[in-house]
Order: sequence, then C-alpha cells, then structure tokens
Amino acid sequence: MENKGERDLRLLQLRFIGKILAGFTHESKNYIAIVKESAGLIGDMIQLGKKSGDEPDAYLEIIHSIEEQIEKATDLFRYLNRFSHRMDTELCTFNVNETLEELIALLTRFANQKKISLEKDFQQDIPSITNNPSLLQLLVFHFLEEQLTGLDKNSSLILNTSLSNGLVVVKIMIKGNYLEAESEKKPGTDNKIHVYIIDQLGGTIIKENDLISISLPVLLS
Amino acid sequence: MTTYRFVVKVNKSSEGLMKQKDIRVLVIDDEKDFANTLAQRLKLRNLKVNTAYDGEQALIKLKGEEQDVVVLDLKMPGMHGMEVLQEIKKTYPNMQVIVLTGHGTEADEEEVKRLGGFSFLNKPADIDTLEYKIKAAFKEKVDRTLSASTFADNNQ
Repeated sequence: MENKGERDLRLLQLRFIGKILAGFTHESKNYIAIVKESAGLIGDMIQLGKKSGDEPDAYLEIIHSIEEQIEKATDLFRYLNRFSHRMDTELCTFNVNETLEELIALLTRFANQKKISLEKDFQQDIPSITNNPSLLQLLVFHFLEEQLTGLDKNSSLILNTSLSNGLVVVKIMIKGNYLEAESEKKPGTDNKIHVYIIDQLGGTIIKENDLISISLPVLLS
Repeated sequence: MTTYRFVVKVNKSSEGLMKQKDIRVLVIDDEKDFANTLAQRLKLRNLKVNTAYDGEQALIKLKGEEQDVVVLDLKMPGMHGMEVLQEIKKTYPNMQVIVLTGHGTEADEEEVKRLGGFSFLNKPADIDTLEYKIKAAFKEKVDRTLSASTFADNNQ
C-alpha cells in the first residue's frame, strides 16, 4: 500500500498531466480552428469574392498562414511527445535544458492567460544528468504553478540553469507583485511534497525571497 | 352603396428592418489570426465586422461604437470572456453575445445562458451556422429594442 507521500505524489502527477493535456488540446484546437477558417476563406474568396486580379497574392498569404499554423502545431506535438516519453523510465541520462524547455513550451499558454511571461536563461554547456526527468519536471511545474496562481499580471518567471560546484542548479527567478490574497503564501508553500520529491531526486531546494533554487547531482547516488 | 374596408396590418417586427449589411459585429478573440480570418469571412457575407484581441480592448471599442452582435472567446489573457459578457450585458442589455470557444464545458454553457448570452458555439464552428446565429441574434436585438420603444410609447 502507498504511503501518504507516494499518494500525494501520484495525485500531483495526475494533476500535472491533466493540466498539460488541457493546455495542449486547447492550443491544438486553436491551430486547427485557424487552419479551418483560412481554408474556408480561400473557398469564400472563390465563391463569394469580387474578382480584382489581386487574388493570387491573397491566396498565397493565406496558404502561408496555414503553413505557419501547421508548423506551430507540429512543434507542440513534438514537445508533448517528448514530455510523454520522459515517463518511460525512472532513471536515465538527460539534458536539463531540454527538459525545462519542453515544460516552458507546454505551460506558456497558462502563463499568457495570466499575462505573466515565462522566460528561459540557460547555461548551454551544463552536463547531462542521470536522474528522473519526469520528477524534475513535476517539481518545477509545481513551483511554477504556485507562482502563476499567486503573481499579478505583468510579472515574469525566469528559469535559469547553471553548473555550480559540480551540481546542476535550476533557479526560478520571480519578478513581479503578488495578488493581495496570495501575498501571504509566497514562495513555495506546500513544503511536504517538495521535500518528498527533492529527496527522490537526491538534491536540495533553497527558497529565498523571489528565488527558488533546485540543486541536482550530475549522477544520482 | 357598399363600403369595403381594407385593413392593412403593418407588422412592426424586425423582419422588415433587417438588412445584413447593417449588422455590426465585434469579434473578440486573443488569437489574432483566428479573429482576423473569421472577420474577413464574415465581411465577405456582407456583415460590418470589427475585431478586438482582449476584453479590455473590446470594452473600449464598444464605448466608441456600439455593436449589434458580439462574437466572444472565453479564455483570454487578462479579462475572462465571462467577465466581458457580464460587463456587456450590464452596459448594453440589448446587445447580443455569441460565445465561440475552443474550451467550453457544459458548466460554461450554463453560465453563459445565466449571464444572458445568446448562443454558445464550439470552435471551430461552421461558418454558415455562425452567420445564421448572428442574424438570429440581430433579430433578437431589434425585437427587444422595438418592444422597449413600444412599451415607452404606450406609457407616454
């Protein structure tokens, strides 16, 4: 039987996956809706439009817009596919920057809804680490979700990575003001689940004002 | 001598007053490409169409020029579509709002009805259905305006 920590972790994982899928389906639906309207517009121009001789350029512009939407959708599908495969194994060697980049891509919609910017500032030459990538994404998601709930619009969240004393460090830098109702809770209030996850990742978390710092070993011992 | 009396009934309903080119529509959607493309399609159907890309911008536009029908997305940055709907119905009770969303739940649909929304459509919607709903919404607006003015006339 699962202990409480394990149960809380599973619930959080389900919520995480649910949120990612909700964002993904919403975004996909938007791309499809734009493609549908663009294709419809070409049809309308042929059936209803007045002939002016400028049609070929207008058609090309719409076709270009369709191609753009398909490219954006393909990127999103690629991120979701990579995200799904992070759960294939509990322990593997992975690039932290790529893992976080994927998370940013899948959470950007939620940040945009709140008018909060989600930015990356990665050190490019950090070593790959051997650990549980899905659990790292869950931990970072949990912190980001708390901040996205608590922060007022026009704030920003910056994900920074670096190598420090042989550890890979992921920093969440918070810039902005908290909503009044949330101001008492900043930053990172649900300590138990954080502790449970970081123990499994073999790392440490330091929380300061406007900064959450997660340190991870290159090799999980 | 026989006198014939002809009674000509003047139907003071919206039917005779409706001209599609007079219908002013505001499309509110944060997806600019979607809003612009949809606006172009509706313009090709002889509707007068404006666009706004968030709730705040929409309310400013409505102050500048009142619209007959609003096509409104729900999930937008900043002001949520439900708040926009509430604000529109408070300020312009006869203006009709069609919600067009990619992410609507049954609870959202109920809430839209409760707040006085005219119709609830899922994205991507069929353009003919949307056009039909816009015309029906306009008719509703005209009917409401007429019955309000008739009520005012009768009470003078």
